[in-house]
Amino acid sequence: MANVPLYGVKTHAQKVCSLYKRALRNLEAYYDRRNVYRYQAVLLRDRFDKNAKITDMRKAVELLKEGEDELFKTQHPIPKLFPTSQGGVAHQRVVTPPDWVIDYWHPLEKAHFPEYFKRREQRKKEFIAMWEKEYGTADKKEEKH
Amino acid sequence: MAAANIARSALRGLLRSSTTIRTPVVCRLSTVVLQQKFSTINAALKAYNTQYLQNGAQNISVRNYSGGPPLTLELIKSRVLLVLQLYDKINPEKLSVDCHFMNDLGLDSLDHVEVIMAMEDEFGFEIPDGDAERLVRPKDIIQYIADKEDIYE
Repeated sequence: MANVPLYGVKTHAQKVCSLYKRALRNLEAYYDRRNVYRYQAVLLRDRFDKNAKITDMRKAVELLKEGEDELFKTQHPIPKLFPTSQGGVAHQRVVTPPDWVIDYWHPLEKAHFPEYFKRREQRKKEFIAMWEKEYGTADKKEEKH
Repeated sequence: MAAANIARSALRGLLRSSTTIRTPVVCRLSTVVLQQKFSTINAALKAYNTQYLQNGAQNISVRNYSGGPPLTLELIKSRVLLVLQLYDKINPEKLSVDCHFMNDLGLDSLDHVEVIMAMEDEFGFEIPDGDAERLVRPKDIIQYIADKEDIYE
């Protein structure tokens, strides 16, 4: 369940929280008995709490790096994952087509659902009005299509 | 002749001991047991009938193929609050939908991570870190889960 940030900078606290979460999930993969897992989780929490009050940033960063190293070295070969999370068994199993696909239906197909498409056109006009109210009118010359 | 006599006497002895003395006791015991069985079976049948036959339309059992009952906002709210109440660092009396985890309930950021992980386990999908740090009230969690599961009523 590693959550790799694709953009943006994380603060030190966010990095520590992320490390804590991944370490707990790693423990969960190792210990399937819940009471054993809880015991190990309390020990892990104690290790985090001991270093929570360190104000020296250099030392804190070093500790964080050590923690990441330790997690990398002790990571479970077959981690437990949620079905729909990345790497899970049902990841992207159901692909929901995007909403704009409906705009490209054939008119004869659209004619089957007159009420829906009437309201849909109305909502589109409302959305454009809202957008123009907030950001100003779009420049016609820059329109490519 | 002698053998027949012995056999007859033995039979008579058996008959006398069994029929005259033992059978009444056995009979009484067995009737008591039968009556007890009968009453328990009757009670069970009555309970079964009231549960399944009397108001039949409401209680038709439905097989949910590994899926639970459909989520509603109320159900999400009760489940979220139950998870939070069972967390040992939260005082269930102070807990409400609008209270802030850090300011009102006095959790720190690692506790917050544990709360979010409990929510993940409860609802069975992953909450990324970027979203998790904005979920600082039970209300936000309920709204987030409803958005993810596409539930609006």
